[in-house]
Amino acid sequence: MRKGYRLFFIIALILCFAGFLARAHAAGLIDPSTGMKVTEIHIGDAGSFTGDAASPCMEIFHSAQIALDEWNAKGGIHGVKLKHIMGDDAMDPAQGVNVAHKFVSDKLMYGVIGPPMSHIAQATLKIYGRANLACITTAASKPNLTEQGYKHFFRVNARNDSHGWNCALFIKNYLKAKRVAVLNEKVAYCENMAKETIKGLKKLGIKDIMQETIVGGSKDFSPVLTKVKAFKPDVLFFIATTAPDQAIGVRQMKELGIKAIFLGTEGARDKKDFIQASEGAAEGAYVYHFAPDIYAIPAAAGYVKTYEKKYGTISGFGPPAYEAMNILLAAIDRAAADGKITRKEVVEELHKTKNYKGILGFPITFNAKGDLEGGATYFFKVVGNDFKQVAVMTGK
Amino acid sequence: MDLLLKELPQQLVNGLTLGGVYALIAIGYTMVYGILGMLNFAHGEIYMIGGFTGWWVLHLLSRNHQVVMNAAVVIALMIVIAMGVSAFVGVLTERFAYRPLRNAPRINLLLSALGVSIFLQNLVLNYQGAKARVFYVHSLIPESVRLIHLGPVVITLTRLIVIAVTFLLMALLSIMIKRTKAGKAMRATAQDLEMATFLGIDVDRIIVLVFIIGSALGGAAGTLVGLLFTQVDYYVGFQAGLKGFTAAVLGGIGSIPGAMLGGIILGLAESLAVTFLPAAYKDVVAFVILVIILIVKPSGLLGEKIQEKV
Repeated sequence: MRKGYRLFFIIALILCFAGFLARAHAAGLIDPSTGMKVTEIHIGDAGSFTGDAASPCMEIFHSAQIALDEWNAKGGIHGVKLKHIMGDDAMDPAQGVNVAHKFVSDKLMYGVIGPPMSHIAQATLKIYGRANLACITTAASKPNLTEQGYKHFFRVNARNDSHGWNCALFIKNYLKAKRVAVLNEKVAYCENMAKETIKGLKKLGIKDIMQETIVGGSKDFSPVLTKVKAFKPDVLFFIATTAPDQAIGVRQMKELGIKAIFLGTEGARDKKDFIQASEGAAEGAYVYHFAPDIYAIPAAAGYVKTYEKKYGTISGFGPPAYEAMNILLAAIDRAAADGKITRKEVVEELHKTKNYKGILGFPITFNAKGDLEGGATYFFKVVGNDFKQVAVMTGK
Repeated sequence: MDLLLKELPQQLVNGLTLGGVYALIAIGYTMVYGILGMLNFAHGEIYMIGGFTGWWVLHLLSRNHQVVMNAAVVIALMIVIAMGVSAFVGVLTERFAYRPLRNAPRINLLLSALGVSIFLQNLVLNYQGAKARVFYVHSLIPESVRLIHLGPVVITLTRLIVIAVTFLLMALLSIMIKRTKAGKAMRATAQDLEMATFLGIDVDRIIVLVFIIGSALGGAAGTLVGLLFTQVDYYVGFQAGLKGFTAAVLGGIGSIPGAMLGGIILGLAESLAVTFLPAAYKDVVAFVILVIILIVKPSGLLGEKIQEKV
């Protein structure tokens, strides 16, 4: 007992001394939860940097890097430099879990950009959540990611349910459709999207709806499209994941002489694999996307210039990542203002993000769940060999 | 119901094209089974390689998605070279993966075939990547004849080409098997491999010939499907192989006319199923038909009762 007292006394003395030392180095940043001096602030970037989704994910990484470089050029946060660390999951949830464990155990890490894939975000939600490590995804749209009671997970992209409602609004108000055919692939994202859109269409008073399913990668949709032809829809909403499937869909639709307007998903916003691969059949078709046409926003000009100079062309996945990194660093900056920072503080600061005006062309406010308030969906029309933004829907 | 009747003719066209392709794939399965009694699960991959070869020929003969020579010549070259390359790969698999196991238990051959299938799939994945390759077919077929309207039915010229080539190849094969010496030797080997050996037939050569013909037809199917659906990726062989195998069993495995009939029935069943049921049941219908036929006639539609070899 007595020994215990002595030990306690010694530790208390050391702590006092340490505190004194810390005060002496007033410029430093301290993490009270670990008791460590923060020598460098690490930001993780979880994504699928190898494999099929490598090109959008690298665009996310590069865009986040640009934002981080800008902060470093201004002197970092509270005098501490920032470092961007890549964690590759190769689209495999098991590897995503490894990345999450690695990030969580990095004591200098105060936030993560990503994961951009819903299924990987789902697999790692608990790990980041338990560690209170803030995550901002730029693309994961599965609604229930923010419905499971975790406080650390944010997104700058809209959820499937708001996309579905926005697509219904677009079909009714912009395309003026009365009969709608919905084809969806049998995977979670597409089924969910079809369900939300049909729910929205019914709410808007559209009764003549046909729904059928397709198999991704099957290359032949003519039997099911023949059925669509007999239904004579004004709009065909073709909900598939990848651009190649949608290129075949729009081509076979035209070949069968279906007069409907083709509406594709965000996956189809791909000049090579959708517009070119359809050899002209995509002309006049529409696609929805979670990100706006970045070239049309004046505030984004600086980012666009830097990106194109360093990394080439922008597809649409990059701008939200630039935005997310800036929002995250602004929250860390606020959390570090008093010379102390914890992961929990960063999460709390992120929740206070209100009307952040960046490069996306709309103010960003997170609701209590971490979702974007008034999620926006952008609509593009295929004109020649390009996508032209024609409408934005924000739930109204 | 009225609506359904209106789409029926179109679905028949859809089904017939698909069925023809299934039949071409099924022939490869059935010929190998007829002689070696093994299921060549790598056959789907041979089909996929045929598709890639066709794409590659078209790609080489195009500049900015425009073909540089007569379109008919390009299509013919695509099909012929695809058949050649597929036949070559087929012969290689026979030589290195199946022949050393000729006298081993059947299960070893089957496993070897699965191994070859996985190997070929990954080989193509490694060299071509996972992304689908696009056949830019517009310059092959002039705008004016691209779509043919027959009442309510729309047929693309590519569909007609696919149907024509399929039936031409099947007719040639039938003649070859019935009329030529090699065909006779093949039939003899299929009936009794050992007896054929005693009669002085070079069985090894016949087996190679079977792999050449079966694989070439599979390769032709790959290119034809590429022309029709305009895309090929490393994974298309799996689905196609499964359908071709089903068609072969449906028609009676080992029987070449059976494979042709089985393919066409399967293709039609799938298209018509979509007309009357939700599209999700497409494959269910195809396989229910298979199960029913196997219960009623276990040897398949045109299959002969397998005689015990004494």
